[in-house]
Amino acid sequence: MSNGLLIFLMAFLFLFLGYLGVPVAFALIAGVMAVAAFTPVSLPSIMGQLFNGIDVEALLAVPFFLMVGELMTAANVTSRMITLSQAMIGHLRGGLAQVVTLFSMFFAGISGSSAADVAVLSRTLGPEMKREGYSGGFIAALIASASTMANLIPPSIMAIVYGATGNVSIGGLFLAGVVPGVMVGIGLMIYSYFFGPVGVQHRRATFPEFAAAAKGASLPLVIPVIIMGGILSGFFTPTEAGVVAVLYILAVVIPALNRGYFRQLPRDLAHTGLLYSIPLITIAASSAFGWMLAYLRGPAVVSGWMASVAGGDPQLIMLLLVALFIIVGDFIDAIPAIIIFMPIISDLTQNADIKPVHMGVVIIVTLAFGLITPPYGLALLMAAKFTGVRFGRAMLDSFPIYVVFLATILFCIYFPDVVLWLPKHFLPQSVGCFPNPGGAGYICPP
Amino acid sequence: MILCGIAIAGFTVTVVCDIATRTLGRPWLWLQEATMTFFIYGVFAGTAAATRRNDHLYLAVLAESMSGRKRLAFEIFNRAVVLVVAFCMSWYGYLNFLDGFKSLRMPSMTPLASLYAAIPLCGVLVALFTVEQLVNGWKNGFPEKPAP
Repeated sequence: MSNGLLIFLMAFLFLFLGYLGVPVAFALIAGVMAVAAFTPVSLPSIMGQLFNGIDVEALLAVPFFLMVGELMTAANVTSRMITLSQAMIGHLRGGLAQVVTLFSMFFAGISGSSAADVAVLSRTLGPEMKREGYSGGFIAALIASASTMANLIPPSIMAIVYGATGNVSIGGLFLAGVVPGVMVGIGLMIYSYFFGPVGVQHRRATFPEFAAAAKGASLPLVIPVIIMGGILSGFFTPTEAGVVAVLYILAVVIPALNRGYFRQLPRDLAHTGLLYSIPLITIAASSAFGWMLAYLRGPAVVSGWMASVAGGDPQLIMLLLVALFIIVGDFIDAIPAIIIFMPIISDLTQNADIKPVHMGVVIIVTLAFGLITPPYGLALLMAAKFTGVRFGRAMLDSFPIYVVFLATILFCIYFPDVVLWLPKHFLPQSVGCFPNPGGAGYICPP
Repeated sequence: MILCGIAIAGFTVTVVCDIATRTLGRPWLWLQEATMTFFIYGVFAGTAAATRRNDHLYLAVLAESMSGRKRLAFEIFNRAVVLVVAFCMSWYGYLNFLDGFKSLRMPSMTPLASLYAAIPLCGVLVALFTVEQLVNGWKNGFPEKPAP
């Protein structure tokens, strides 16, 4: 059988089994094993690839950032951040919709997972929004869209996976994600203000009310400072920053704000253990899938085709990749997509002389957008389920919000200097700058 | 579930000790190996537990929109696929485990097989839990899967 046919068979088996209801990880392994039988590749070595996919130190950060989100949610500390968001912008038009977006920006700085954000918002602000007359579809669409910021604003699990598998600076990706993250947040606020439901007009919080809310939320809001401070100062790796954040929550935040929570800690620890294994076994399976794809020379063919269409134009190459990932993201989850397509991304990044962090942030924003696009918009599916709305209804209400994401993606492609401004200033080496041999500072190639 | 909790607690402690010993200027190099061991075993133990609880990532849950014999046939087919994959993980994972005795982990010089062992163990557990689900599903019907 030709390589093309084998690639087709592998992709078909994965999608066919996946859409029948076989778990993603097992559908991927089944596709790889079936195709490996037609090649000289030994089947035990596929098991070795499963292992190699997760034997990456940077991936240790994933459970810690998941644990931070779980601990904050389970210990009910997040309600203080909602109170602060309400005190800051709850009086604006579409007050609760604005609060959802601002809270998601705060929460994104703590947890790297959209799922945790959707779960918190659907259970806390979702019912309150319904009482104020917001439609179910709008609530689900807004919560899902706002939750995607968790993948952009550091710490982002997508950035960790991208950095770990593509050998790209995770700190650089974290910093580069800030601009698109804030852009999506501001875009959602503008959309809610001008085009969303009016909601109930709340009075503006007084200064003492705002001060009390800020004081209540101050302890959790130190977490982003610990994480980014530790990474930027070079004192911690992302994994260590995650563990220090967990220790801070266990030693400072929970004793100060919800001491009674400690009784539940062993149960939540076990739950987090289960929670982290689910994306990681998918990473292991995707890595075997990606390896087989590379063995069959799939990435070389796709990247060759893209290079022939786009020539050496980096922006056109990024546009083609965005189109590819919008389609791919409609059918498969972001994490397997990153790992399976990493050889293609790396090839094109190198050939078109694109900065790996720039390419990374464009791909991450595109995949975050994929979380709200049908048929496999994971965040939208979850938000619709939790708020009790039909997926079709939520999808219709999310269509206008696509503009915010598409504008952000185009901005990231065409204005790399703005997107890479933070990494260039705080982690210059992550974007290809090198220490000036003749004096202080860094030299950054254009 | 308990094994997952032990694994995550284990590698949290080892990462903390790693930071502490490094900060004190006396790093214990074996801590990084211990961390990876907890991490890898945690992932594979969690995979088996997630299979039992139907907690994995799914692309779609087509079978849930069906009922009666059609649903039963889909659910049995899906679990049969998982069973085949679990068998492959057990048998080829075991062969890979034997191969792992040729490579050593640094600095402890432990065979890499000590980590590779997690794959066949996971395969056996996944197979057991899948058979359990098949038997229970055949007798009492298949439960609904949780939200994605």
